[in-house]
Amino acid sequence: MSQPLILIIEDEASLRRFLVPTLANHDYQVLTAATGADGLAMARSHNPDIILLDLGLPDLEGMKVLQSLRQWSRRPILIISARNQERDKVQALDLGADDYLTKPFGAEELLARIRVALRHATQVVLDAPVLQCGGLRLDLERREVSMDGVPVRLTPLEYRLLEALAQRAGKVATHAQLLNEVWGPVGAGQTHYLRIYMGTLRRKIEPDATRPRYLLTEPSIGYRLNVE
Amino acid sequence: MALGSEAWALRLVHTGFRMAREQGRPWVAVHVAVPGWETAGEADQARVWLQEAQDLGAETVWVRASTVSEGLIEEGGKRRVGQVVMGKNRPRGPWARLEHSRAQESIRRSLGVRIVTLPMDSPVPGGKAKPTFADRLGVVLAVGTILAMCCVFASALSVAVGFPGIPPVFVLGVGFIAHKWGRAFSVPASVAVLLLFDALFIPTRFPFQQEDWTNGVYLAGTLILVQMVVVLVDRLHQETRSLRRREAETFLLMVLGRALGRCATAKEVAAVLSERVQGLFQAKAWLLVPGPGDTWLHLPESQEVPPCPRPSDLLPQFSNATVRADPFEPLFLDASSFVALAGQGGAEGLLQLRLEAGRPFPQESWGLFQSLAVQGALALERVRWLEEAQQARLDTESERLRNTLLGAVSHDLRTPLAAIQGAATSLLLPEPLPEATRLDLLAMIRDESERLARLLSDLLDLTRLQSGGIRVQKEWQLLDEVVGSALLRLEARQGPLPIRVDLPETLPLVPLDGALMEQVLINLLGNALRHAPRSPVELRAWEEPGTVQLEITDRGPGIPAEFHQRVFDKFFRMPGDLQDGGVGLGLAICGAIVNIHGGAIWVEDRPGGGARFRVSLPLEGLPPEQFDPETCPLTLECNP
Repeated sequence: MSQPLILIIEDEASLRRFLVPTLANHDYQVLTAATGADGLAMARSHNPDIILLDLGLPDLEGMKVLQSLRQWSRRPILIISARNQERDKVQALDLGADDYLTKPFGAEELLARIRVALRHATQVVLDAPVLQCGGLRLDLERREVSMDGVPVRLTPLEYRLLEALAQRAGKVATHAQLLNEVWGPVGAGQTHYLRIYMGTLRRKIEPDATRPRYLLTEPSIGYRLNVE
Repeated sequence: MALGSEAWALRLVHTGFRMAREQGRPWVAVHVAVPGWETAGEADQARVWLQEAQDLGAETVWVRASTVSEGLIEEGGKRRVGQVVMGKNRPRGPWARLEHSRAQESIRRSLGVRIVTLPMDSPVPGGKAKPTFADRLGVVLAVGTILAMCCVFASALSVAVGFPGIPPVFVLGVGFIAHKWGRAFSVPASVAVLLLFDALFIPTRFPFQQEDWTNGVYLAGTLILVQMVVVLVDRLHQETRSLRRREAETFLLMVLGRALGRCATAKEVAAVLSERVQGLFQAKAWLLVPGPGDTWLHLPESQEVPPCPRPSDLLPQFSNATVRADPFEPLFLDASSFVALAGQGGAEGLLQLRLEAGRPFPQESWGLFQSLAVQGALALERVRWLEEAQQARLDTESERLRNTLLGAVSHDLRTPLAAIQGAATSLLLPEPLPEATRLDLLAMIRDESERLARLLSDLLDLTRLQSGGIRVQKEWQLLDEVVGSALLRLEARQGPLPIRVDLPETLPLVPLDGALMEQVLINLLGNALRHAPRSPVELRAWEEPGTVQLEITDRGPGIPAEFHQRVFDKFFRMPGDLQDGGVGLGLAICGAIVNIHGGAIWVEDRPGGGARFRVSLPLEGLPPEQFDPETCPLTLECNP
């Protein structure tokens, strides 16, 4: 595969100065835009493989940029935002962003997120319907879950929940997305269902439920199935 | 400005105030005490009006003189008076009118000034109406009936005892008439009695003799005497009554003043006014202060709110005082009266008064009501000043806090910055560094910038928590999850940690803000790990009725009892605390977060040594329906 093209829509020069060489050094082609309008234009002309979008842009709201991008592009979008903007993050994720990074972040975290997002973009369907991360093995075709080779018995809803997380393995899934996928419309707003099931799922899968390794909590946002 | 002691003198004061304000001139309020003309009660009343004038910016004078005009001329002569304002009742009879104009003329001539007289006849709308013709006719008929009855009794008595039986009957009748309707009716009645006596009794029963003249004169004399006595006694009674009323009013005002003096907020002022008005006038009263936008804030809030025009409709009618005879005159709108509560700094609010349907406002209480309004205005003004002073003090305090904050933080910001700058510049030096040193410096840059980021977010959190900028978003959730994500975050920072967690599976869902509570756990666990590095740290939770209890214990040096409270203060560091990057915000943040959850946080000595931090979170509100996940009715066709 040729070098993936990354578009960075970010108004702060110092952050661009850190991002561009870091990404270029890891075999990505990098484009930058300092405003939302420029970013939209560049996204149209270059059709990048992945977009890093800052939510706090000077001209357009990041949210607006995200919406117009999502009208025509299915390419992964990573949100960059400040702390204490949980509400914005959830909104962006529900509007179709793939994942988010909270400022300040390190290079490792950035690269990991980009890797996960690109992998998802290339595998529209899981090529092998088996997900293996650490000791956790999930066979989506045969609907089997095992931990370190030992089969794990899950209730149907627990399985659906794990499956929904596996569909986005490595990426964050918001409460609303999980509730919708597992419970359907009746689940809307019933976050406590999700928490209870996540609790029982953890007790069955995690070696130590109070120190989860696979089913990570993103406070106020949702959950993430850790694949690293 | 010449003042009497009557109730309308207050209106005179207010009019004088308004005129002086319009003309932009100083004004003097004068009360002329004419010896023998006013009672002690009236003199006291006049003092109250003078006090009111003084409150409205007037110079006040109390003079003694044999006539009002003399007193005014004497006072006016002492200063350069431009205008004299007097109030007057409509003079009764030509004599009074003549005297009045003579007095005015003498003042005009002596002082060479313009005199304004204000008619003060109907001071209060809704006052006593003039008697109509029908009323008068009714009285005449009643008087006629009484006289006729007297005649019947008198003739019956005269048959039995002769002339001595007649006068007492008529004396009783005329006395009653004088008491009931005044001299206007009793004098004609007396004349009628004499004529009746002349016509009915003399020719028929007694032949006209010398004795009859004596009897007639005797009867006439008795009648005159009884009228005088009745009228005098009535007047005395009236005066005693009004004296008592004034005394009661003064007392009420004193009580009111005391109650208002204790008020610290506009709400309390409103409560006192409303209660007094209810007690004095059997009317509901609200205090209106301008609210947000074009609305009134009705105080006290507990009562149902009456309909009321918007401020933009109502206020101009008060501020446009030039077209109103009296700026303090009430406005009648929507079945309510509105009175401006005006202090020295302008209108503080309005008093809305609603009497029970159809009942007019008692005229004799009008003066009392105005005094009440004036006292209310002064109290409101005082409360506002109090609030302003309070605000000023708060501002100073927050300014001081900001300075402390800056002072405390600047050091803590500078240290990591210095390390980062030093490391970065040495990495940029042309001389190559050994690989190990290079990596070490780079790791230091990473660590110090992380520390900076933490410090900054702590500061922001604390400021926002304390200013109410963070709204707690409680959701029912499992403590396991919050603990898990806190541990994960700590271990990502510091590697595997010796923390033992004991959370029973039976713990209920707890209403909490996950992100904030995670911060509490991170701070508490982080502290325990830092201060007791080699001891195991334990985290336990259990349910108690209405609460969930959480404790974090260590076997470190513990916290001396005298610091158990202060550790939760901002920037508090224990004496001899290691300089490891903490700034004394962590526990303050924990305190603020637990506080906005409605819970409690404290520290105890752990038996056997070490510190025990306790958090108690309330289980408030209705928990969501609990269900056992394994037997959930929602099932799916699948084969796990």
